[in-house]
Amino acid sequence: MPECPHTWEMTNIRFGFVVFEKCHHCGRVRTFFTREDIALLGDKYREGTHFWSRVENAQSFRFDLRCRSCGMLEKFDDLMGLLYCTACRPECKVDILRRELEAQGTHVVLACGFLTENRRRPEQVAGHKIEMLASYFNQRRDVSRSRIAVLPFDLEDGLSHCMGEFLHDVGMISQEPPEIRKTPLWQ
Amino acid sequence: MDTRELIERLQLKQLNQFKHRSIDGVFISDMVSDTMARARPGNLWLTMQTYKSIIPAANLVDVAAVVVTSGKEVPAETVELAARYAVPLLWSELPTFELAVKLHALGIG
Repeated sequence: MPECPHTWEMTNIRFGFVVFEKCHHCGRVRTFFTREDIALLGDKYREGTHFWSRVENAQSFRFDLRCRSCGMLEKFDDLMGLLYCTACRPECKVDILRRELEAQGTHVVLACGFLTENRRRPEQVAGHKIEMLASYFNQRRDVSRSRIAVLPFDLEDGLSHCMGEFLHDVGMISQEPPEIRKTPLWQ
Repeated sequence: MDTRELIERLQLKQLNQFKHRSIDGVFISDMVSDTMARARPGNLWLTMQTYKSIIPAANLVDVAAVVVTSGKEVPAETVELAARYAVPLLWSELPTFELAVKLHALGIG
């Protein structure tokens, strides 16, 4: 029996927030997704040796991909978000690749897993899921004009230097306009 | 209808240079996440959101154009990013609802 070529569609869309917590004891940052109606900042609590405080939230969503042809379902609960690579430090490996790919009409998106207190980098999103995401975005578009390349975050040398643009809604529950970020994502 | 005709008929302001393309439906949202989840390729995206992340989102979804409504000022870096990626960025002083009504009258949406 021939293998299904898979035509992906987004399903089980759930809106919520990606919350960023920082421990003011060790400086570590972790993230998680919540479906709270309003994810308030400033919430503080102690967990073991950590003193967590909510320092940022971003309206976001979770989804799964399902094949319209065969019904195969893949969950993307481990995807914190997509990071659009627009420009970075000249020595950034992703940015070097981005410049090459953009010259060919391909835009670079990084699939970013959640941050945990034990790592300085986000968790990795599985390779087969990254391929599915790329297929999904390219199946929807006229690829004669441009394509999307989805890459894992592990190409990035240091998350603390990343200048990418997260596709989240930061500050949507604030009355103040978002600040223009001129620094890396995390320091 | 394509973006060229739409600009003429609704007197939209074109904020960057791009290749005109046909429009297939309208999507209205001020949230990038909502647009990423539910907008369709070829949609005209009406929004009051002007932060530069609308451009990567529009590019990823492959919308026909982004229309910033209600006369909101668009930051220069948003326009620059739209120019760099040739994402059609339009502007209208009309509130979103009024623009949507006009689009409906034109048979779009």
